[in-house]
Amino acid sequence: MPIITVEHLSKHFKVPKRRTGFWESLSSTVSRQHDIIRAVDDVNFSLDRGELVGYIGANGAGKSTTIKMLTGILVPSSGHIDVMGLTPYRQRKENTRRIGVVFGQRTQLWWDLPVIDSFELLKQIYEIPQNLYKQNLEFFSEMLQLQPFLSTPVRRLSLGQRMRCDLTAALLHNPEILYLDEPTIGLDVVAKEQVRQFLRQVNAERQVTVILTTHDLNDVEKVCQRLIIIDSGKIIYDGGIDALKKRYGKTRMLIVDLAQAYSEVQLEGVDLTRRDGNRIWLAFDRDTISASEVIAQLTARYEIQDLTISEPEIEEIVRRIYEMGVQ
Amino acid sequence: MKKYLTFTVKAFQRTLTYRFELWMELVINVLFMLVYVYLWKALYTGQTSVEGYDLNKILTYIVVSQTLLTFTFTLRVARIIEEKVRTGEVVTDLMKPVDFQLMILATAAGTSSHTALFNMLPKFLLFYGAFGLSLPLSLFSLFLFIISVVLGYVILFSIEFIIGIFAFWLVEIRGIYFLVIWGLSMLFSGYFLPLEFYPAFLAKVAAVLPFRAIIYLPTAIYTGQLIGKGLVTALLIQLIWVVILVGIGRLAYRVAFRKLVIQGG
Repeated sequence: MPIITVEHLSKHFKVPKRRTGFWESLSSTVSRQHDIIRAVDDVNFSLDRGELVGYIGANGAGKSTTIKMLTGILVPSSGHIDVMGLTPYRQRKENTRRIGVVFGQRTQLWWDLPVIDSFELLKQIYEIPQNLYKQNLEFFSEMLQLQPFLSTPVRRLSLGQRMRCDLTAALLHNPEILYLDEPTIGLDVVAKEQVRQFLRQVNAERQVTVILTTHDLNDVEKVCQRLIIIDSGKIIYDGGIDALKKRYGKTRMLIVDLAQAYSEVQLEGVDLTRRDGNRIWLAFDRDTISASEVIAQLTARYEIQDLTISEPEIEEIVRRIYEMGVQ
Repeated sequence: MKKYLTFTVKAFQRTLTYRFELWMELVINVLFMLVYVYLWKALYTGQTSVEGYDLNKILTYIVVSQTLLTFTFTLRVARIIEEKVRTGEVVTDLMKPVDFQLMILATAAGTSSHTALFNMLPKFLLFYGAFGLSLPLSLFSLFLFIISVVLGYVILFSIEFIIGIFAFWLVEIRGIYFLVIWGLSMLFSGYFLPLEFYPAFLAKVAAVLPFRAIIYLPTAIYTGQLIGKGLVTALLIQLIWVVILVGIGRLAYRVAFRKLVIQGG
């Protein structure tokens, strides 16, 4: 029995057409024409209890709109949602009692109050029994090392500390499902790793179903078992993470600043994907050629000033899936 | 119900963080009130009584109404809702099992209790001592006065709540806010002078609007202007406005919420 079932889910927004120019904007105050944006377009998936799913896509792909419909604050234009046997937008309050939500960009903690006060407030809001509250608070403060700043006002916390507190805040009432919207955004490497480990542990030990949207491929690789990719409101991939990793995870990008603008750059086993003045972007498969080999080739033929290696980005992977599909 | 009380307590505690701001506010309030009191003293030279108000009664009226006015300019409910809508924080609120209107009221009550205790009460006692003002006729009238103040507060809250809800449709609610709170409410609440001093047609307009229930009615109960049947009627009028305005607020919120969930934030 799936915990979440989504069938033919669509959400269309009507947005007024933007018109430029004086007369056009004047006439648009009288009569407005609208564009229809299909933010989510005939989406189907189902999740089992205890799954840990990455829901990814470029900005504006429809991730947040889906999450908002699942949490009950947006009504679908058409289609059917079933979350724990509830229809979220009809049974919003009942649904919110059983879910936890974390927005990376926003805190649900009270800005001016010590962290612990926000937790106590949540205890009242969700009517958490005292012993369960105590037990959970102990569990999370130990796991996330909250003790040193529990009595610090939220506004004085670092982003990493705040995120750890927000994660606790979302889980105090033992939700069955945890929704996370870009939980690692803006965090440093250590803090990111901490969040990832925490999510894995919470999922494994407490059987919380986790849905995670992110822009960081490392989040997906290190945390998720399953991946759903959405683009322009449609699901373009739904399956294990391994197939995708095998195919695209090995591509690395080398960004090179050349000392001068060479008219032609030619290297073996490397794709020149972009060029901007003296800067070039080289894509290579780390299984067929190593970074040091690429760099050796480069330095042998050209004079270079600087270089960086970057991991592939979600946008890049989505683009490739679009072009080639996933087998 | 207990969860809403927690909002009140936390809001009260939070206000304690901004002590300096509150002291500054108090100092400015006191200066303004001094100006008003001396203005009325000057106006009353050579007069013994105007419209049933002698000097002591008018000074009492001015100080009580000025003190109650503090709620009007410290209650930031409309702005709080506007900000919640603008920043999208309203989404976080909607993801909790709470009633939005009650939550906002409970929070405002926390901040306002702090204002009442640490701004209004000392301010009032200062003027009471300095100018030899009157007290209510009896302890019972004092009790009814406090009830009336609370009802007036809920009316003010409800009006601000409704204005705040406009933020779901408008980018900017400052226009409506100034029109209603600093225009209509100032004119018809009776903070400036007792409504008995108004020309007949303005007094009639004031009588059918909810604003006089915020300041004039409680103050008139305090000064003993309203007694017996008049007092009971005043409290009933306040109660009716509470029901109507809270109801309109709930309805407006429901429509706004539907708009939000159907069209997206």
